[in-house]
Amino acid sequence: MKGPDLCEKLVRSARAKGADEVEVYYLRTRKLEAVFEKNDLQVPKGDTYEGVGVRVIRGGRQGFAATNILAGHSVEETINAALAIAAASPEDPNHVLPEPSEARPVPGIYDEKAEGLALEDALELGRRFVEAARGYDRRVTIDSASFVVQTGERAVANSKGVRLAERGSNFSCVGMGFARDGDDVSSFDVEYSGSCALADIDPEASGRRLAEKVVKSLGATTVPSFKGSAIITPYAGGELIAGPIAFSVSADSVQNGRSRWEGKLGMSVASGLLCVTDDPRIPGGVGSTSFDREGVPPEPLEIIKDGVLGHYLHNCYTARNDGVRSNGRAVGSDQTTPGIGTTNLVVAPGTVSFDDMVRRVPKGLVVNRFSGNLDPVSGDFSGVVKGGHYIENGEIAKPVKEVMIAGNIYELFAHISAVSREVVTIGDTRLPYVQLEGVSITGK
Amino acid sequence: MLDLLKSVVAEAPGYAEIRYHKRLLTTVDARNGTLKRVERRILAGAGVRCLVDGSWGFVSTTDVSEGGLQRAVMEASDAARAGARLRREKARLAPARLARGEFVYQDSDGEPDIAAKIEVVLDAEKRMRAASRLVVGSIVIYTGYADEKFIVTSDGTEAHIVDRKPSFHLFATVLRGEVRETAGKGWGVTGNWCNLMKKRDLNRMVDEAVDLAVRKLDAGYAKGGRYTVILDPQLVGVLSHEAIGHTVEADFVQSGSVVKDKIGEKVASELVTLVDDGTMQGAAGMVLVDDEGVLGERTIVIDKGILRSYLHSRESAAALDAAARGNARAFTYRDEPIIRMTNTFILPGEDSLEDMIAGIDDGFFLKEMGQGGQADATAEFMFGIAEAYRIRQGKIGELVKGITISGQAFDVLKSVDAASSDFELDLGSGHCGKWQPAKVDAGGPYLRCRVTIGGRHE
Repeated sequence: MKGPDLCEKLVRSARAKGADEVEVYYLRTRKLEAVFEKNDLQVPKGDTYEGVGVRVIRGGRQGFAATNILAGHSVEETINAALAIAAASPEDPNHVLPEPSEARPVPGIYDEKAEGLALEDALELGRRFVEAARGYDRRVTIDSASFVVQTGERAVANSKGVRLAERGSNFSCVGMGFARDGDDVSSFDVEYSGSCALADIDPEASGRRLAEKVVKSLGATTVPSFKGSAIITPYAGGELIAGPIAFSVSADSVQNGRSRWEGKLGMSVASGLLCVTDDPRIPGGVGSTSFDREGVPPEPLEIIKDGVLGHYLHNCYTARNDGVRSNGRAVGSDQTTPGIGTTNLVVAPGTVSFDDMVRRVPKGLVVNRFSGNLDPVSGDFSGVVKGGHYIENGEIAKPVKEVMIAGNIYELFAHISAVSREVVTIGDTRLPYVQLEGVSITGK
Repeated sequence: MLDLLKSVVAEAPGYAEIRYHKRLLTTVDARNGTLKRVERRILAGAGVRCLVDGSWGFVSTTDVSEGGLQRAVMEASDAARAGARLRREKARLAPARLARGEFVYQDSDGEPDIAAKIEVVLDAEKRMRAASRLVVGSIVIYTGYADEKFIVTSDGTEAHIVDRKPSFHLFATVLRGEVRETAGKGWGVTGNWCNLMKKRDLNRMVDEAVDLAVRKLDAGYAKGGRYTVILDPQLVGVLSHEAIGHTVEADFVQSGSVVKDKIGEKVASELVTLVDDGTMQGAAGMVLVDDEGVLGERTIVIDKGILRSYLHSRESAAALDAAARGNARAFTYRDEPIIRMTNTFILPGEDSLEDMIAGIDDGFFLKEMGQGGQADATAEFMFGIAEAYRIRQGKIGELVKGITISGQAFDVLKSVDAASSDFELDLGSGHCGKWQPAKVDAGGPYLRCRVTIGGRHE
């Protein structure tokens, strides 16, 4: 027995053992991966997985246990373990399971072609990425790369009648490399592409993009320190922009007193140029889904509209705690209790082109990649800019190295001066180039 | 299980390795007056690795029936064969001391049940909130791994390995006016619940975390610059593991880390002897047998300042003509073994901590890792410090906050002019990340050395 049938059977079994409410989450995956290191194949890897997570509520007390041994007594023991945890836990009225509601499928998130692929196909796709990067310029080295094909089925059922299942596929290609010209070694750079459909993956283009970036950062020099404009590229924006937004709109962060945006619903948290949507319904989107970890169907949410905070992201626990309905942002696997997360996080494009943005900057820095620390609670960040480019008088003057940037990201959100019309999709995040003013840029 | 694995391995073409790994993970997480989550997770399955024509194939599966394992071996050897057409550097395996027999390091007697653990965690969280009226955030987390492995290789490993690796993490956040400060404590062991509670007194750690957070409210910032400092055993561990250790992992050496071709050269002060040792009893990085089936041993990486050895898998040992001593590790059955550290530390010296402090005219006494940190293959590092005190004219002065240290780790080790006779491993609470996590430990004595302090002017 598999999928939703197995979930329902275990729900009945846990009810028979005395649980008031039960939720069973099921996950089955098959993964093919080709790993390359130092321009050479390292290892082809295959994995098949199947497991369940059981959450019970009894007398307002919650217990959770999971297992990926579905044969023998392990599943029964897992139900017993969940009940034992519930018995030993304090009552908490916020532990609730959702009522059933209709989950409309999202088109394009499952490509049947993935099922027919074998490890040899992943090897071939990975080889094409590495060779395209190497073929672009002989000075390029691929330090590591991996091509992954993953397919799977997730299902959830609960004692209130939720019964849902969904299949998905994912193809991803990630490479990390640098260029060397004599003693001149460029910054490390990363290129990632991911898609639900095989046809949308172009390993050659991806390899060439990585090669182009690292070759362009050869010949980097240092610059003196200054305070000025920083154009955050989509790659750097994943950590500097998407990360802190996702953290601070999570109702879990808010309720734990860790969000800077606690009590800020309906208030301005950023420049009017910033619009952010969390959209689970993008056809073929890597983060798209018709139901969340608890079986609640999520809808698109305008998290930030013209700089004003519109929503927090909830699961059933935080929603109950706030006296609202869950907006279906429970995340997690069969091995974890539900947390909170984004689906496809989309920062809306602006009106200017990247080139025009650069043209308007008298003195600034293109932050290609950020390697450092950002504390999402305070927003303080500091770190090294990798593969950065110095802008002078509206032109990209030269690649730079040993440049650090620092500041407070929440304060800088108020100082966004431009958002590009180009948007780059990196997995489940879609980001334009974002220009920040007043960033401390420390050179030599 | 061992017999089943042996019979399947016997039919494999070329080198084959099957590792059955069953992990029971228990998490009890209390915060801000609620029991946030209690999870009991079983993750079990087999990882199969085959080497055919100099190429690896790795397949992992939850199906550990005879048929499932045979299918995994077949898929792994097919993948290896397909990979061999692509792979230029052929992998070979160095001979090694292979494990045979029982390697059981646990005493499960007296291990409390889940209800008792929940009670202890809830009590500690309550104590944290009660410790000061300024506490606005209180987190207490217990995490425990209970692992059982069977490893069989076609060249003779037959090992049954059992151990437990529990840890505690505490975070206290205090707020006064607009100023918010957080302090954390963490510790971990290889052993049972009692060993964990013996390593540190939970109540005392809760009190210390709150006390430090409160004192930080009134602490000022320091002026950056080059200073003579004392690093405590945890920071010596961070430096040994993060900044030095990764550069001597043979895969990073082969990629061109800063110590490539430096064996036999002086890389540190002669007061520095740095080792990696999977056999340290009770340390969180204890690995009696690694995931290639090789027996753990002590590797002397730096001997009185001279670089002696890198850390190896059987593959890198063959490529660099060295010995594998138990550093090929996999986090779960779904991960293939890669080169990792175990317990990495600097051996104690003969100085007294008091004298070391007395010898500093203008410097800092630095304790424990704070927020943030990074290091790379050039051994350049930057670490946040949790607790820093000024030292002036040989005396410890006021607490300062917002301190980071940076430098090149080998330069720092060359500047060491005193090492205390104290010794402790104190980095066992967390995980090291390198594509997959690993439980490690690290430490040493107190060291006196020169680093660059990053401060803040306010």
